[in-house]
Amino acid sequence: MFRRLFVANRGEVAARVARTCDELGITVVFGVSEADADAPYTRGRETVTLGPARSTESYLDPVRVVQAAVQAQCTAIHPGWGFLAENARFAGLCEQHGVTFIGPPAHVMHLMGQKTPAKRAMAAAGLTLIPGSDGVLADADEAARVAADIGYPALVKAEAAGGGRGMRIARSADDIAGAFADAQSEARSAFGDARVYMEKLIEHGRHVEIQLMCDRYGNAVHVGERDCTVQRNHQKLIEESPAPVLDDAERARTLAAAVAAATSIGYVGAGTMEFLLDDGGVLRFMEMNTRLQVEHCVSEMRSGLDLVAEQIRVAAGRKLTIGQDDLPLQGHAIECRINAEDPGDNFRPSPGTITRWELPDSAGGAVRVDTHVEAGYTVPPYYDSLLCKVIAHGSDRNAACDAMIDALSNLVCEGVATTVPMHLSILRSDAFRSNDYDTSAIPGWK
Amino acid sequence: MAHVPLTPIGDPLDSVADRRTVDDHENKTAGLEETLRSRRAEVHAGWGEKYVGRVHKKGKLTSRERLERLKDPGTELLEVGTFVNYGEEFANGLASPAAGVITAFARVHDRWCMIIANDNTVASGAWWPRTPEKIERAQTMALRLRLPTIYLVDCSGLFLPEQSRSFPGATGAGHIFKMNSVLSANGVPQIAGVFGDCIAGGGYMPLISDRVYMTEHAYMVIAGAALIKGAKSQKLSSLDIGGPEVHVHQSGCADVRVPDDEHLLDCIRRDVANLPSSGAAFYRSAGAIAPLYPEREIAGLLPPDHREAYDALQIVARLCDQSLFWELMPEVGEEIVCGVGRLGGLYAGFVINRQGLVGNPEHPDRKRPAGILYRGGIAKVSAFSRACNADGIPLFWLQDISGFDIGQEAERHGLLAYGSSLIYTNSTNDVPMFTVLLRKASGAGYYAMAGLPYDPVIQLSTCLSRLSVMDGRTLAIATYNTKLDDNFEITATDAAERKEIEDGMRDVERRIEADMDPYVSARRQDTDEIIQLGELRRWLVAATEMSYQSIGHRRVKNPRIWSLHDLHELVGGLR
Repeated sequence: MFRRLFVANRGEVAARVARTCDELGITVVFGVSEADADAPYTRGRETVTLGPARSTESYLDPVRVVQAAVQAQCTAIHPGWGFLAENARFAGLCEQHGVTFIGPPAHVMHLMGQKTPAKRAMAAAGLTLIPGSDGVLADADEAARVAADIGYPALVKAEAAGGGRGMRIARSADDIAGAFADAQSEARSAFGDARVYMEKLIEHGRHVEIQLMCDRYGNAVHVGERDCTVQRNHQKLIEESPAPVLDDAERARTLAAAVAAATSIGYVGAGTMEFLLDDGGVLRFMEMNTRLQVEHCVSEMRSGLDLVAEQIRVAAGRKLTIGQDDLPLQGHAIECRINAEDPGDNFRPSPGTITRWELPDSAGGAVRVDTHVEAGYTVPPYYDSLLCKVIAHGSDRNAACDAMIDALSNLVCEGVATTVPMHLSILRSDAFRSNDYDTSAIPGWK
Repeated sequence: MAHVPLTPIGDPLDSVADRRTVDDHENKTAGLEETLRSRRAEVHAGWGEKYVGRVHKKGKLTSRERLERLKDPGTELLEVGTFVNYGEEFANGLASPAAGVITAFARVHDRWCMIIANDNTVASGAWWPRTPEKIERAQTMALRLRLPTIYLVDCSGLFLPEQSRSFPGATGAGHIFKMNSVLSANGVPQIAGVFGDCIAGGGYMPLISDRVYMTEHAYMVIAGAALIKGAKSQKLSSLDIGGPEVHVHQSGCADVRVPDDEHLLDCIRRDVANLPSSGAAFYRSAGAIAPLYPEREIAGLLPPDHREAYDALQIVARLCDQSLFWELMPEVGEEIVCGVGRLGGLYAGFVINRQGLVGNPEHPDRKRPAGILYRGGIAKVSAFSRACNADGIPLFWLQDISGFDIGQEAERHGLLAYGSSLIYTNSTNDVPMFTVLLRKASGAGYYAMAGLPYDPVIQLSTCLSRLSVMDGRTLAIATYNTKLDDNFEITATDAAERKEIEDGMRDVERRIEADMDPYVSARRQDTDEIIQLGELRRWLVAATEMSYQSIGHRRVKNPRIWSLHDLHELVGGLR
């Protein structure tokens, strides 16, 4: 097992990884920016300063991070999520310098990081796709043919799309030539890559994802699915498991197919496949996140598994300790992400110093809070403003929601605004409780 | 240290060059590459539809159709010698597209093979002047890499009106069979399919192969029906004389008879599947990953005008997997880059000329032009080339060089001797080396960087390549040296004399510039293939995979025992 592990991340992520390392007897070294050098979660830990607060010169600089890890004599790097976690070149760089990257092999990350090659690989492995073109479109005529085939509305999307750019909707055959040309020219100017493909636009879907864990020897398990339909601008707010609106047969089919698909591409470590649940109740593959996710705790609460520990063991060459049969998924778990944002003021960031910070009690293990914050902590303005994640477990959805309401009501945070009021409003709303919502709007919140 | 410390290189295109310059480069190169594509199409058409029709009427496939069926579906053929004889006219005003034979690297059941296929749409697959040399060149490539070699034979024999240019000489047609024998003696698997005519010389080509197939259309004869009729007054069909009935059963000159082309090709595929699989998968140190900065950007970065500079590392960044690279000895001989990167997950060595101005160790306050070699660079390249050879790392020479430094300092530094050391190194290397003439390939620089006379396995040209001793302007000045002053102005005052000198200089320049045309080199087999810049990486990846494919015939060291590490440490110690 690794003796020294470098955490190439900050805040709640760093604290989460460190907790597991403590349990495994691994010494943790944090790479920190100057802004985080004195953060409370680094107290009593070894740290290496990566660079200035600006993340492109610290957390996002692959060369600095690898150098720091080598200098600190760490033999593994945990990238957490965000920053360099899905950077295949960083993973390659780590391996070249003798540091084990805790994640899948670089070429698998690269494959799943490309849109149409990833879809093609997943379709070949038996997952259902959103209807669309087979790869990149040659020209507007092909776009029109594909759209006629899959039906309108159709979405023309850049192969290199990101941040919502390089996408155009065609609602009818009249729009298609324009949508194709616009998407192509935006893609060319934004990404230097004019290639576009087409998908049917599914407007009122739900977001469902599957947690996977694989070792180097071809063993793989799923840790159930999560529903992350409550979103704002593609940012997940609430995640829960099991998915409240999902046919049992479709769930079983897709879970099995996802495990087989991960094995077929030689996936190693923790990963998540994201699906769109369409009106017909079919789960359609969208993309794979080749890393641990923020909301992994939901699956941990239902399975009792420590996914970070599994990641580290697998990276060190161990076989998975659990098979699918050893993984009973129990009850219902739900997670709320609490950010330093003012939901009453259009989610304006609310950096500053937290003057009072009190957490709800664990209610006999039914409530878990993952955080790096304590009273006196100053939320730096440079990074995302996640303060904590509250996870509640219950025998069913209602019980879990009630436990969550209880926990959030007992969370005290003074000094900065938080999104707690929004979460309480959602949890108490009829729309949320009766599953009457989709990704296009937040239930119980205007 | 056993790690291969690759580090990120390259920058996004828009931070390296402005949009207008990039567009300008792309547009100019696009025009040249459009010409390349249309000329390729012209060669691929052979003698045209009429002859395709004739082949089909006989119930046979054209040679190009055979290649399509033979290779793995969805893979690409990498053809060499496309432009041999391009633009040349032979007896009776006849042209011989691709010299009447297709030679191409192809993947068959994931193994790279060399395919040599007579083009049955060009004079029924006859051998023209340079056809033997083209076949022998392909055989040499296969020998160097130990690639399974497949002959698709459909050959009416020598094109007799030009026999004096293809029959005699050290590389005359008979040398093909010598190469057959050498391949066999070196354990290179050879498989032959006979699809039709196989007369005289052609008749020998399949026989040395490990397995010989014949279709029911095929015959192999020392002399065909026409000659028998003339010599012996017997009237027989060629099939009667040497068809499968004779050769598979009575003479044993062939092994297996198959009904038609399709069956034959399927049999060859099955044979290749029974050969050892590629060693590339074993030697791969990581999965193959495309460069972070895409190879299609090379055309925007490389100025078509050979006098304009660019950043060579930006080109390398667009060739190596993930744009990760380990440059060795960067402080020495700055005019040239030596380093290691991955191609398709396999380690490969790169040597590429820097352009523009670089540091001058003799005069630290001054810069000097790169694109040529000085003592430091020559010594560095020599040491690097020797180390790659010792370590079994395939080596790529990316040339954009106008020659060696010249003048008093150059002679005092002994560039002749340092150059000879490099020449010796490259001449005695046995690691696979591949050479690309990115733009300039001039003078001693072309030789020093493993140009074709130094036996690289393959030498590729681009549409921008300029291969010569020196460029036209330089030679014009040298030729008329005594008539020019120190500013290269004509000294004569008489109008008529001035005009004569001007015309003479222009003629010299024009002739040299015309000879630098890559199609001229390709026609004469002075380069193996002309490729588009966007195709460069796939050639490099393929060449690397081929280098690692056959195990046991050459050394492949793991990075722990690379002498490159020693070199790095020794030079680094001086820092």
